[in-house]
Amino acid sequence: MTAPLLQLRDVEAGYGGQRVLRGISFDVPAGQVVTLIGPNGHGKTTLLRCVSGLVRLGAGEILFADEPISGARAHRIVEKGVVHIPQGDLLFTDMSVYDNLMMGAYPKAAYAAAPQRLAEVFSLLPRLQERRSQIVASLSGGERRMLAIGRGLMANGKLLLIDEPSLGLAPLVIDQIYEVIGNLKRHGMAILLVEENASRIIGIADHVHLLDDGKIVWNGTPAEMEENEDILTTYLGG
Amino acid sequence: MDTTTQIIISGLTLGAMYAISTVSLSLIWGALNVLNMAQGALLTLGGYAAYTASAALGLNAPLAILLTVAAGGLFGVAMYALVVRHMLDREGFEVNVIIATIGIGMVLEAGLQKLYGAYPIRQPLTVEGGFFLGNVYVPYNSVIIVLTSAALMLVLAAVLARTRMGRAIRAISQNRDAARLMGVPVELVYAQVFALAGGLSAASGIMLSTITTLAPTMGYDPMLKAFIICVVAGLGNVMGALYAAFLLGLFESTVQFALGVRFAFISMLVLVIAVLIWRPYGLFGRTRVTKL
Repeated sequence: MTAPLLQLRDVEAGYGGQRVLRGISFDVPAGQVVTLIGPNGHGKTTLLRCVSGLVRLGAGEILFADEPISGARAHRIVEKGVVHIPQGDLLFTDMSVYDNLMMGAYPKAAYAAAPQRLAEVFSLLPRLQERRSQIVASLSGGERRMLAIGRGLMANGKLLLIDEPSLGLAPLVIDQIYEVIGNLKRHGMAILLVEENASRIIGIADHVHLLDDGKIVWNGTPAEMEENEDILTTYLGG
Repeated sequence: MDTTTQIIISGLTLGAMYAISTVSLSLIWGALNVLNMAQGALLTLGGYAAYTASAALGLNAPLAILLTVAAGGLFGVAMYALVVRHMLDREGFEVNVIIATIGIGMVLEAGLQKLYGAYPIRQPLTVEGGFFLGNVYVPYNSVIIVLTSAALMLVLAAVLARTRMGRAIRAISQNRDAARLMGVPVELVYAQVFALAGGLSAASGIMLSTITTLAPTMGYDPMLKAFIICVVAGLGNVMGALYAAFLLGLFESTVQFALGVRFAFISMLVLVIAVLIWRPYGLFGRTRVTKL
């Protein structure tokens, strides 16, 4: 058996003396969707920011494809194939849809393959093609989320880190977003997904980790999660 | 009619010169959120570098100009790599960079004064002659300034709009973290921004020295005006800075003619106050974007 694509080993991190993550260890195997759930403000986003190099680790190690990436600069990590689709999209709001997508293909290798990737992204997310030359500020919330995902796909990465893709969207739009994520999974993309809304991940996750107060307090499959009364009542509003 | 032509010609010349200088300020502000107070000294450096290249080294004009622009770009990169880079991301870096760049400007100015003396020197690159448009004398030098400036601005606009580097510069100025997540090496792009701004300032300095004379303090007045234009346009907005530069150039030459030269600067300041009361973000400034 080959080593998992992403490995976290006793990861600790925080902001200015305040520890947010206290020894996190788990793996994301190739081709699987691994989900982090748990209450707000307990370190889920910080964990993704550690993987993508925006937050420095206090201790521990992160390996991607068996190479340590903790301590590397953010742009090097993207070049290796780890793509972070951030919470709240963080789009370039004064730029066109096309320019945002091209920014996603910034790394040299991705830039060379951009025309082909663009066609693939447009076939997966046809709405973006219709809106191609529109300025982002004029898009709806759902279209922005699709653009954030499309922009992430332009980098031609091997692992996607997706932070709260359902945040602030109407239920119908959330369904569309999850349809897209399901599609990516079927294409064999490895995904580390952070989600507040645990019911959303049941059809899609291979493995679930519950993060509370900076520690993984439970992990298992979605089916095991559904059978666990404690988790449902304590964390998921039963 | 002749008066109007005269005002328009001198306004366009001023505007063309201001435009380049303003755009350099605006590029740095847009990308790094810091003010480059050494802008005036960079203009001066450009003027003297061109003088040295053409008078002392005896190079022909295109080569002298090219070397000068390269020197400005190099100085910009050095400023970033040796000083500004070490201040970013620390608490209060905005103010620290302002003070540090004032210092760089003073050192540069003092150095130039030591080397070349405090007396005004004529810029040998000035183009003589001109032609009559009706009864108005149009110097070739002004025509060259307007055309060069327009060409430089068009190239810059194309670079910002269409190239990988230009997109990255715009992306960083809109959202630095997101740009990092896209794989943009932010520090490298900052260095590129300083190189661009330094090169453009040097070009603007050459133009300036051909319509005034070379003097160690020649950059002050245009720097102040570039700040005014930036504020009127909205800081960080490159295209807005361009429009505002020409508007204010025309405004200045109109006031100079109608009320007298001594009122030009005062009325520009009054205009700034009026604009800021009416539109606090500047004429073309974008209102603060709410981030989720």
